[in-house]
Amino acid sequence: MKHLNRRHFLGAGLLLGASTLLGKPLPDKPIAIPEEYKPPIIAFPEKKPMVTISDRPPLLKSARGRDIYTQAITPNDEFFVRWHLPDIPTHIDLKEFRLEVNGAVTTPLSLSIDDLKTTFDPVEITAVMQCGGNSRKYYAVTGQATHGVQWDHGAMGCAVWKGVRLKDILTRAGLKESAQWIGLNGLEKPAMEETPDFFREMALKEALEEQIIVAYGMNGEDLPYLNGFPIRLVIPGHFADSWVKMLSNIMVMDSYRNSFFMDVAYTVPDNDCECVVSGSDFEYKRKPIASMKVKSVIGYPSEESVIKKGSRIKISGVAFDQGKGIKEVMISLDSGKSWSAAKLGHDLGKYAFRMWSYEWETKTKGNYTIMARAINRIGNIQPMADEIGWNAGGYQYNGVDSVSVKIV
Amino acid sequence: MKKFVLLCFLATSTLLAQMEKPIEMPYVEYPMIKGDHDEVAQQYCLICHSWGYILNQGKKSRPYWNGTVQKMVNEFKAPIPKEDQQTIIDYLVKHYGYEAKAGQSGH
Repeated sequence: MKHLNRRHFLGAGLLLGASTLLGKPLPDKPIAIPEEYKPPIIAFPEKKPMVTISDRPPLLKSARGRDIYTQAITPNDEFFVRWHLPDIPTHIDLKEFRLEVNGAVTTPLSLSIDDLKTTFDPVEITAVMQCGGNSRKYYAVTGQATHGVQWDHGAMGCAVWKGVRLKDILTRAGLKESAQWIGLNGLEKPAMEETPDFFREMALKEALEEQIIVAYGMNGEDLPYLNGFPIRLVIPGHFADSWVKMLSNIMVMDSYRNSFFMDVAYTVPDNDCECVVSGSDFEYKRKPIASMKVKSVIGYPSEESVIKKGSRIKISGVAFDQGKGIKEVMISLDSGKSWSAAKLGHDLGKYAFRMWSYEWETKTKGNYTIMARAINRIGNIQPMADEIGWNAGGYQYNGVDSVSVKIV
Repeated sequence: MKKFVLLCFLATSTLLAQMEKPIEMPYVEYPMIKGDHDEVAQQYCLICHSWGYILNQGKKSRPYWNGTVQKMVNEFKAPIPKEDQQTIIDYLVKHYGYEAKAGQSGH
C-alpha cells in the first residue's frame, strides 16, 4: 500500500486544478511505451562508438546505458551530444576564432581563446549537464508519451569544467545602465536562412552569478568538438538548453527579445506544478525550463544484469539537484514499500553528481524492483513515477528511478 | 610491435582537440519505409534533420504528426507546399503512427 503523503495530495490537487482550468477530461488508460527503434552505434570524432539517435544534427548517448552512472565524472569520449541545427562548422581555426561581446556595453570585446586563457582568472567547477528532455520516455510509463525524441536517462553527464567567469567578461566589457538581458549565440546554423537561430537569453541579474562560466576545458582537456569546442557556456544547476556550444557571441541587451527557442521550445506550463493533465497538447501558457529538479539514477544493476542468489551486490548510482546539495538517497528493494538509506560517496561540490551505493545480499530467487529516491538539503524529494506532473514537451522528468531485476 | 603502438598513439593524438584538420562527421542512413510518397518526406524533412528524429519518437497520433509538420512549416520555415504537407502527414501517420481514437486529444 502506498501511503498518501502531503506531497502526493498537493500534486493531485494541482493536477485537478490544471484539468479544470483547461476544461480537459481526465485521460483514459495510458498508452504503454511503444516498441522502440534501436539506433546504430557509431564513433563520431573524439568519441567512442555511441548510440546515434541522429547524425544530423548529432544526438548521441553512451552505448553503456546505465553503466555510465556508476562513476561521478563522465568521460569526455562518452559524454552525450545534442545539437539543434544541422550546419555545424567542421573546423575551428583558433587563430581566427573570436568571442564577440557587444550590445549595451561601454567597450565591445573580441576575445581569442588565448585571451580567455591568459588574461582572465581561470576557474573550475564540477557540474552536471542535463538535457531538458532527459528521461522523458518514462513519462509514458504512467501517462501519455510526450513530444520529442524519447530519451532514456542517457542525456546527462557530469564534468569538471574550466574557464572564465561570465561575470568577469561582462565586467571587462562594461555594462551600460540600460543593460537588462544577455543574448547568446553559437556557431551552429540552420540549413535555411529563415529558420530561427539557436538564440538563448538570460536575465542579466542571473548572468552575473559567480558559478556561471565560459568553459574551454572539460575534465582536463579541451572541450571535445561535439561538446562545443572551443568554448561553451556552463550554467551549473540549470538544464543544458542555455549552455550554448561553440559560443561566439554574447550580446548585452536592454530588453528581452522574443524567439522560438526561448518562448516555444524548452518550455513547461507556467503554473505552480509546471504540469497539466497527461495527454494535453501545448494549449497552456508557458515559461522556459530553468533550474534542475532533484533526481537520482541507478547505474547498477540494469535490467540486463544477471544476479545470482547468495551474491553480494553493490547497487549504485548518481544523484544531483539544482545546486542545493543532496541530503539523502533512499533505496527500496520491494517496489517502494520500504526504504533504507544509501551510503553517499565523496562530495565533489553542490552542482556535481553525488555517488551513492547500497549493499544487497540476494538471499532468495525471484523478481525484484529496485528504486532510488533522492532528497536534497532544502527538502525537495523526487516524486514517485505515478505522481509526477506531466507536460507535453516531456521536460524535467525526475520521477523515482526503478530497475526490475531477476535473482537466479 | 613498437611501431604499431606508436601509430596508435599518433592516431589518438590527432583526435585530441586543437584539431588542425576539419572533422569528418559520419553519415547514417536511417531506414525509411518505402511507399506512400516517402520521397516527399525525404525531400523536405531531411533538409534540416535526419530520419532518426522520426524513428526515435515512437508511434504518434495523426494530431501529433499534423502539429509537428505545422511546427516545421510555421516555426522552422520549412518550405513545404500545402499539398505536400498533407502527403507527409499521411505518410507519417500510416508508417510511424496511428489514427487518434475518438475523444483523445493530442497524441
